[in-house]
Amino acid sequence: MRIASRTFPNLVSQQLGKIAARQSRLQEQVATGQKLRNPEDNPAAVHRVMNLNVEKDLLGQYRQNIGTLQETANATFNVIKTLKQIFDRASEVAIQADDLKSPEELRTFGIEVTQLLKQAVQVMNGQSRGAYLFAGTRSDQAPFVATTDVDGHVTGVDYRGNTDVAEAEIAEGSLFSVQVPGANNTGAGARGLTGDSRVGADLFGHLIALQNHLNSADYQAIATQDRPALAADEENILFHVGTNGALQSRLEAADKLAASRMDGTENLISKEADADLAESMVRLSETQVAYQAALQSASTILRQSLLDYLR
Amino acid sequence: MLNFFASLGLGVRSMQAQRAGIETAGQNLANVNNPAYARQRVILQTSEAVQTAVGWQGTGVDATAIVQLRDALVDRQIQAESSVEGFLEAQQQALQYAQSSLGEEIDRRADGAAGSAAAGGASGQAGLAVSLSDFFNSFQSLATSPSSTTERQTVLTRAATLVSRFNQVDGRLQALQDNLEQGVQQDVGDVNRFLDSIAQLNDRIVQSEFSGATANDLRDTRQEQVEQLSRLVNVEVTSQPNGSVNLSVGGELLVSGRDVLDSIETYDAGAGRMMIRTTAGATPLNLTSGSLQGQIAVRDGAVAQLREEINTVAAQLIEKTNAVHRAGFGLQGTTGADLFEGTNAADIRLNAALADNPGLIQASGVAGAAGDNQVALALAQIAAQKIPELGNQTFSDRYNQIVAEVGLSLSSTNGRITDQQLVQNMLLRQRDSVSGVSLDEEMTDLVKYQKAFEASARVITTIDEMLDTVLGLKR
Repeated sequence: MRIASRTFPNLVSQQLGKIAARQSRLQEQVATGQKLRNPEDNPAAVHRVMNLNVEKDLLGQYRQNIGTLQETANATFNVIKTLKQIFDRASEVAIQADDLKSPEELRTFGIEVTQLLKQAVQVMNGQSRGAYLFAGTRSDQAPFVATTDVDGHVTGVDYRGNTDVAEAEIAEGSLFSVQVPGANNTGAGARGLTGDSRVGADLFGHLIALQNHLNSADYQAIATQDRPALAADEENILFHVGTNGALQSRLEAADKLAASRMDGTENLISKEADADLAESMVRLSETQVAYQAALQSASTILRQSLLDYLR
Repeated sequence: MLNFFASLGLGVRSMQAQRAGIETAGQNLANVNNPAYARQRVILQTSEAVQTAVGWQGTGVDATAIVQLRDALVDRQIQAESSVEGFLEAQQQALQYAQSSLGEEIDRRADGAAGSAAAGGASGQAGLAVSLSDFFNSFQSLATSPSSTTERQTVLTRAATLVSRFNQVDGRLQALQDNLEQGVQQDVGDVNRFLDSIAQLNDRIVQSEFSGATANDLRDTRQEQVEQLSRLVNVEVTSQPNGSVNLSVGGELLVSGRDVLDSIETYDAGAGRMMIRTTAGATPLNLTSGSLQGQIAVRDGAVAQLREEINTVAAQLIEKTNAVHRAGFGLQGTTGADLFEGTNAADIRLNAALADNPGLIQASGVAGAAGDNQVALALAQIAAQKIPELGNQTFSDRYNQIVAEVGLSLSSTNGRITDQQLVQNMLLRQRDSVSGVSLDEEMTDLVKYQKAFEASARVITTIDEMLDTVLGLKR
């Protein structure tokens, strides 16, 4: 083929352009560590990366949900623990209140139980993130309200929450709740912490009865009525201790699973989007050598002309 | 035998012919870098012989013509391929802009708010995809703390970001369609200018070639303009015996010799879509390639489809979200409010009443139960729902597919342009091999003609000396 004078510079220019484009692409891969950036780079891979990113974001969200639930479960556990301590002291008082104690001693016990009752109400009105822990879904108002007589004795504790619990998603289609209603006497739904008609638990009712029997020095009622009633409350509290532990274990397991799935998803994204740096570097070096060779050979050939030999 | 003066004439004609050769080589050298130029050659022809006593005797040489070296077949192919290249480049440019409009760039090194590209999330992506994901995830967070003002505010912020992204994307795509419209108008103007200019060149060529000589430089200019016109529209060129060319665009004869029979204009083909027709005849043109058709095709095809698909996603988001939200209750027990207003990506906006009061977000399914999260949960779960109007895909799936489709169109166009450039470069090399100027050849020609010129001058000097000798016989 006949080569015109402009053919060669044009060819050199095209070839250098091609190598420069490849060099730029490889340099970007090395600088960013990515082989994908825009959808046009590899539409199918970008589509997969985008879907994986959605999945990864959702898994991250599940982990956040789990974190919040763990926080609530911990706060709940702390309340249950305190409640158990209150209960234990009240039980001790109920056991110590026998016929060997004088009425004055029993009334002193009564004053202590009144304080335990007030403490229990205070504890059960605990909040986490501004929401009352044991109000069911009526979490914007204190669930327990104590009424007292003129002597300061607790005459009643009303539960103003409800028995509904809010569930949150911790995995696809997996709803989970760590909420415990303060009391549930409806015979259905989540078990109440201080009272549940299904198991005969009524902590506040039983403590008020104990307080009243102590004040009236009725040790027989304490022995025959209050101690058995408190046993049902203890069983109920222990049920919640166990349940809380089980829930926290499930949350931990769910968190580990979500973390592991996130790692897996990240690996998949990396396979699609990340450049093999070693390979990119080698290819970049190759391209740089090719570019230099093209420049050198072109400059040598372009300089040559018949003009150099004519006088 | 010629007489002395006839011999002198021979030398003069020879010098003139060699000078024409030198001038042509000079013209070629001057145009070595002019891509429109086709190299020229002097045609030398032996002068008419005269009968002498010793028989027919030559009278030297004449430069009879200066011709240009062109391959009409290659020219036609280049012209046709220019049209395809113009079509593809217009599409590529528009699709690149469409891709940028979506703002879906993967930046794995960006880290949250510190990396501008991933300001929306930690996924190393920006754009609507992240906003959609963040929006639905914010309801997940709200579901875990339904009465939390912070989580409610986050929902509003994410919703506002999502709305803003929809508005931005639609605005950019609208701007792209407007730019394409302007591009079409500009191309129409350029086409009409080329039609006028080529008709004028036809006129000048016909006049110049009336004497039989070829108007090489005018033909070069005309060929260049025909190729430039071909980049805009698919043009059919028919050469006429008088040296002019007829031009047909989309099957309509627009230039016949020196006359522009008709021009082209845009017209509203319905729904504000500007199409092309002839001005006088009002005949719609069947354009198949060229940047004009490229812009129309991408405007009414990929870009229009992209806008429609984004609008469908926005419309479904408004509908599905509002349907769930409307049934919920706010912290103060309010109900029946929509989260979003508007009908598509262009006019979607956050309910202004909610924007100022996070407590009005209706996350609860039960009146008076601030801690209930049924609606927040249902709103979060919309993210996983397959929506029939979105081809039984989730919002994210559908949107991601839309992005991938744009990428696929652009990638495919890039591939076609690469192929097209290979063909085009090959054809240009072929043309250069015929029409391109070679410095080496021209320099050789220059030496060749220079030597011949010197030799012709020597003939004249010799005859002159001989004349002096003859005249000296008298003394």
